[in-house]
Amino acid sequence: MSGHMTDEQYKSAVKAVWSATIILSIVTVVEVVVALAVGHILPKIILNSFFVLASVAKAFFIVGEFMHLKYEKRAFMLTLGVPLAFLVWAIIALAVEGHYWNILNYPK
Amino acid sequence: MAEVVDIHEQHVENQHHLPSPDNGEGGEKSAMNMSYGKTMMWYFLLSDAFTFSAFLISYACIRLAQPWWPNPNSVFKSFPGLGDAYVPLGFVSVMTFILILSSVAVVRAVQEGHRMNKKGVMLWMIGGIVGGVMFLGCQAWEWNHLIHEGLRPFYNPFGPDANGLTHLVHEKMSVSPGPILFGALFFGITGFHGFHVFTGICINIWAFFATANGTFEKRGHYEMIEKVGLYWHFVDLVWVFVFLAFYLM
Repeated sequence: MSGHMTDEQYKSAVKAVWSATIILSIVTVVEVVVALAVGHILPKIILNSFFVLASVAKAFFIVGEFMHLKYEKRAFMLTLGVPLAFLVWAIIALAVEGHYWNILNYPK
Repeated sequence: MAEVVDIHEQHVENQHHLPSPDNGEGGEKSAMNMSYGKTMMWYFLLSDAFTFSAFLISYACIRLAQPWWPNPNSVFKSFPGLGDAYVPLGFVSVMTFILILSSVAVVRAVQEGHRMNKKGVMLWMIGGIVGGVMFLGCQAWEWNHLIHEGLRPFYNPFGPDANGLTHLVHEKMSVSPGPILFGALFFGITGFHGFHVFTGICINIWAFFATANGTFEKRGHYEMIEKVGLYWHFVDLVWVFVFLAFYLM
């Protein structure tokens, strides 16, 4: 990417970065507002699903736009994405295990 | 001595005349169309992502194994200069915003680097460094505040009352200390992230002075700013998940 940019490319790149910034800020503000306004009303499962989805969306913006991965080769994206995908299994396995210890140690 | 130089030059010469392998990968260019340095920075960050994932997944596992956990709105409710005012998540939102803006400044530095604009790179790198220092300052204030409230790696003063609401042990008689690993996880994970911020600031300061000295201008490209930037954005990326795990959920 260390080539020379035309003015057109430069302008659109700068614009893309600022719109990503605005989106990131808005998502963060929405998260905090949801946590404070409806945090004690909505069921935990819905609330936490929303927070996880919003955070993953923010992560995609940071990695795609700021770290420029969106514009790299697809093969390279896969070498990063495929190993990370295994974390989904780790999260589910250890969350289930932790919940099981909870039931075991503190029966209702 | 002269012979040694000759042999060396011959060796370099030979390398230049090696035929490019015709394997459909574009000859001497890498299959990923990316320089060695940038590729390796990405894989280092991948390994670092696994380290943070291990910490955060352990946190989730330990937290789910507890019958009760402190409510983040009650723990992280203080704002510098506002004393006892109840401002849940206020200060951490400011910290998050500072880190995002600092990240954006470094993206702008990378873009100015593509245009070989030395002054622009220097200006935006200063922005990134200032943002990082401000974030660390905020974190220092928050740690100091929580330590004053009694939080330690193996003591947690945030405990439940009869209704499961979060209170400080020394403020209410009926409250017992909360899950002890809360402090260890909080200081451990935010501390490890803060250490990344600190090293990122050091690297950014180095990159600023290297730019000022004209190192990258002489080299003909500002790829080093891209590599430094990747690390800095990763720090921002990790904060998204630390924020999720400790402050939102």
